[in-house]
Amino acid sequence: MAINPVPDHVPSEMVRDFSLFTSPGMAPTPNGDPHAAVACVHAGPPIFYSPCNTRGGRGTWVITRARDQRRVLQDTETFSSHRSIFSSALGENWPMIPLELDPPAHGVFRSLLNPLLSPKRVMVLEPAVRERAITLIDRIAASGTSCDVMKDFAFPFTVSIFLRLLGLPDHRLDTFVGWAKDLLHGDDVKRPAAARTIVAFIDELATKRRKEPVDDFMTFIVQAQVGGRRLTEEEVRGIGVLVFVAGLDTVAAAIGFGLAYLARNLKDQELLRREPDRIMLAAEELLRAYPTVQIIRVATKDIDFEGAPIRKGDYVSCATMIANRDPAEFECPNTVDLAREENRHAAFGYGPHRCLGSHLARREIVIGLEEWLARIPAFRIKKATAPITSGGHVFGLENLILDWS
Amino acid sequence: MRIIVHKAKCQGHARCSAQAPDVFKLDDEGYILPGDIEVAEGEQRLASRGARSCPERALELDRTPAARG
Ligand code: HEM
Ligand code: SF4
Repeated sequence: MAINPVPDHVPSEMVRDFSLFTSPGMAPTPNGDPHAAVACVHAGPPIFYSPCNTRGGRGTWVITRARDQRRVLQDTETFSSHRSIFSSALGENWPMIPLELDPPAHGVFRSLLNPLLSPKRVMVLEPAVRERAITLIDRIAASGTSCDVMKDFAFPFTVSIFLRLLGLPDHRLDTFVGWAKDLLHGDDVKRPAAARTIVAFIDELATKRRKEPVDDFMTFIVQAQVGGRRLTEEEVRGIGVLVFVAGLDTVAAAIGFGLAYLARNLKDQELLRREPDRIMLAAEELLRAYPTVQIIRVATKDIDFEGAPIRKGDYVSCATMIANRDPAEFECPNTVDLAREENRHAAFGYGPHRCLGSHLARREIVIGLEEWLARIPAFRIKKATAPITSGGHVFGLENLILDWS
Repeated sequence: MRIIVHKAKCQGHARCSAQAPDVFKLDDEGYILPGDIEVAEGEQRLASRGARSCPERALELDRTPAARG
């Protein structure tokens, strides 16, 4: 990974040897705990500079307090989302929408998309989500007393809900899981190849729905109007690609980290199995303790932030895994307390870019846990296996082999 | 008890209405309806829990005597 030199305006005493990519515990680690590994930053200052804190090796400021992350993410005038991460990997320059737009353009698209994933809309989707979970888990239960939760449940579950949302048939499931894997975890050859495949797929789907509209997400997008005009091809692509990348790995990882915790904490597992009413609150605590996303913003102007000279163009990192372990915000932040109330965690971000899919993600996670606990008896991590965790832009879990023999 | 709604801060997390759907009403996009909320006698506990669940701090409890009256 190429490391850029620390810019001259960053005082050397503000530079720390810390990175979500290269610090200890961030590389793929058997039985790792990357969340605990980053929780150490609260002993230090509210802001510091990390010389290498993106996949491309760029430096970022790191905001360590939840309160300050709220300030940054609510202030979109100073801290912009405009970056084109996905398309720049293809040597192109178009935004994922609404993620990489700033207000006021952001709000226009956000309002368009909000009803598609609103709490009300998610209630309508719920029976289909539950049906998918039950089918997958029943098949697992019938075929033995062990499985790899990531491969056999978490990924197929989230991908199939994504397919349903886009109005696509389930038989393409394996293809999509493959693309998603390559895109998120592939090497420098596989990643851009997968990105190109996904763009081509989204473009083709949009063309198809323009010609033959049906009642689904993509048809809605190609027919939608903003400011009295149809969306451009680039805008449709920006939305389609974002929904693809935002909703797969994140939900699968949340389910994986949650079940890994329960596999290691049998008392909590038994409590939730006996009293499923507790699962909704417990899911919030698992999201707090094991969030997955590092949010990045770009400074639009020079600003002194808690004593740090942020300069126009600097990257600013608001890692949700850091906010969620802030002792100023959460009592005993490193203890998982499944009955924690008023859990105002940052797993879905703060400010106008708050996760558009959060209501759906929450239902997927709760339903996944409910149906898993109802159908699989007391489970543990299978002996002689180790879940492999990783840090990065999106924290992940490669495998989770459970055993209930 | 009254809840002051800072509508501009609401980002549609819907945590308030997850706690107390009868107190916190959302629009079709899932954001809180504008206007402060007078909380009925029996709903105060749930309502204050809902207000304290807002990640954006958009909901403020007003317990001044005027608000109680
Ligand atoms: C547990 C699962 C999930 C987590 C932890 C998560 C996390 C996040 C976070 C932290 C952001 C804010 C990014 C930023 O401010 O730059 C975000 C944005 C977004 N998420 Fe999620 N997400 C999850 C699931 C989903 C799902 C299932 C979907 C789609 C169906 C989705 C769609 C989006 C979209 C479209 C945005 C951009 C919103 C905007 O910019 O206005 N997410 N997500
Ligand atoms: S919890 Fe806060 S941000 Fe969310 S809908 Fe309610 S008021 Fe809005």
